[in-house]
Amino acid sequence: MGDGRANNSNSHSNNNSSSSNKPEWLEQYDVIGKIGEGTYGLVFLAKIKSNRSKPIAIKKFKQPKDGDGVSPTAIREIMLLREISHENVVKLANVHINHADMSLYLAFDYAEHDLYEIIRHHRDKVNQSINQYTVKSLLWQLLNGLNYLHSNWIVHRDLKPSNILVMGDGEEQGVVKIADFGLARIYQAPLKPLSENGVVVTIWYRAPELLLGAKHYTSAVDMWAVGCIFAELLTLKPLFQGQEVKGTPNPFQLDQLDKIFKVLGHPTQEKWPTLVNLPHWQSDLQHIQGHKYETAGLYNVVHLSPKNPAYDLLSQMLEYDPRKRLTAAQALEHEYFRMEPLPGYNALVPPQPGEKVVNYPTRPVDSSTDIEGTISLQPSQPVSSGNSVSGGMQGPHVMQTRSMPRPMPMVGMQRMQPPARCGSASSSTTADEKERLRNGDDWIPSTEIKALLSYLT
Amino acid sequence: MAANFWTSSHYKQLLDPEEVHVVHPLDKERGITLEDFKLIKLHMSNYIARLAQDVKVRQRVVATAITYMRRVYVRRSMTEYDPRLVAPTCLYLASKAEESTVQARLFVFYIKKLYSDDKYSLYRFDRFEVKEILEMEMKILEALNYYLVVFHPYRALSQLLQDAGMNDATQLTWGLVNDTYKMDLILIHPPHLIALACIYIASVQKDKENTAWFEELRVDMNVVKNIAMEILDFYDGHKLITDERVNSAMNKLAK
Repeated sequence: MGDGRANNSNSHSNNNSSSSNKPEWLEQYDVIGKIGEGTYGLVFLAKIKSNRSKPIAIKKFKQPKDGDGVSPTAIREIMLLREISHENVVKLANVHINHADMSLYLAFDYAEHDLYEIIRHHRDKVNQSINQYTVKSLLWQLLNGLNYLHSNWIVHRDLKPSNILVMGDGEEQGVVKIADFGLARIYQAPLKPLSENGVVVTIWYRAPELLLGAKHYTSAVDMWAVGCIFAELLTLKPLFQGQEVKGTPNPFQLDQLDKIFKVLGHPTQEKWPTLVNLPHWQSDLQHIQGHKYETAGLYNVVHLSPKNPAYDLLSQMLEYDPRKRLTAAQALEHEYFRMEPLPGYNALVPPQPGEKVVNYPTRPVDSSTDIEGTISLQPSQPVSSGNSVSGGMQGPHVMQTRSMPRPMPMVGMQRMQPPARCGSASSSTTADEKERLRNGDDWIPSTEIKALLSYLT
Repeated sequence: MAANFWTSSHYKQLLDPEEVHVVHPLDKERGITLEDFKLIKLHMSNYIARLAQDVKVRQRVVATAITYMRRVYVRRSMTEYDPRLVAPTCLYLASKAEESTVQARLFVFYIKKLYSDDKYSLYRFDRFEVKEILEMEMKILEALNYYLVVFHPYRALSQLLQDAGMNDATQLTWGLVNDTYKMDLILIHPPHLIALACIYIASVQKDKENTAWFEELRVDMNVVKNIAMEILDFYDGHKLITDERVNSAMNKLAK
């Protein structure tokens, strides 16, 4: 990428015994500390020395375990991010490689906020709803980015508040960036368990056709998620908070469906003709159709009049039949976006003076974890002592030995917990905490996003 | 991106022939000529296709792998980037990029197996282990500047054949397209023009009058014809390639 040349010179002189121990590329950054940790690695906040301390989020992929090199996940994420370019999609600023320990780093423009934290701030701290201008601007920009992705045949597949970033102070203040791409598995096998190693993925934003076992997913799954996020922006509460059924692979999520049916009413074959073809609808008739919810109560849940354009838009995004569900392009044309207040570029600061501006907190940074401590400077292979991180048992796989593997969306950086919490989070997680983790609370996050490349077959 | 060639990195990276047909100074020092350079890339392209049969990946993965390899040698020397390691590693990387990952140790297994095949037994293809492949994978990622999306003529081909009413030429043109990866065309021309050139050749060969159809396409027929000529030239020259020629080129590298 930008520093391709620097990389080359690095790779040519791999045994650069001279000067510092840092990989050459690292010299261009001041690393501030760790801002997130996930299944796929760690995320650090850094500043570019040469560019007026421009903040960058560096996502470090875990070193491959013996045998399979750069994870296909990372490959797909790089592949996608290297091609896309849109105001409302996170920007990959650079890719770095440390040949000595075969670790891979993606550098992104740093975004200070995300919808998960913004919603939480309003719910738990300021105790008031998000103003209409901000909701509308966030939603419009999210749809704008999604429309770009969809028109390029990319399905995100894991949209949720923590993956929707919002830029902090600076030229792009208040601009939405869709993040966390590329963890798509083979696209013929949708929604494979989002991970093999017990990582939890919240199911709250998952479209009903997927919950019912649809084998092929389309851009409509993203629109369902946007509908859920829209409702959450309005009410500050997740719209469908189902209890996740654990187990692999991809167990049937009855409770999640039930939560949806309760609000939207039972889907019917009239409204959704292909419903009967879905595997779980077929095989689990009794359970699914056990409870009948006749009355749709969406407007009660979101406290909107059925005549309100916001309600109209929301209900079209939450259309059961994926073929009837609104597309991102259609949603952008909706009346809701043409009424006052009009959506704006800076979603956080309304253009009208006098409006109250909410100050959102910045991401906590754990400065005790230095990126260099996670970089092996010796040529990989057996590392028994060379690692600066104590307690390491497995050589180069440093982060596996660190406290507790809080899954997080890599780019949609989940906040670090405040130190106290952080410390207590280690092995002694209670069952209750685990439950909350699974349900997308606090530390959750997530996971993976699925992006889909279906070009060229 | 994924759907639109014209906004893709592939399009932006297309090169002039003069940029592609350049022997790296380090390779020149070893006496490698432009002819040798092309021969080695051809030989390694065949090797990739052969290895792909064993590891069982689709043609598109092969095409992507060969494209990666050819891109690598636009900027890197064969002296530093040993083709015997680069070629299988490109296939390994392409298998991940094209969603059909094959384990590295399987690659190593088949590389060794293939080594007992006469054609590839001369040059110690077998000396590489998983570790070398994984290290090279990273170097290739870097050499490719992390651009991994590659467009191929295949999709355009089937659409165009349909449109031209030439479905009967599918087999022939598909084979022609496969053979274009023995050259550097994919680095130089948009894939749909390569597909058209193959259709053009098939039209001529099958005596099918297609002029009006080609004209309606509003593409630069001169480019299409030039690509077609290049392919035909390649076939002509291909007949003259002997094992000795390949061996002598490879030996300059083996040292």
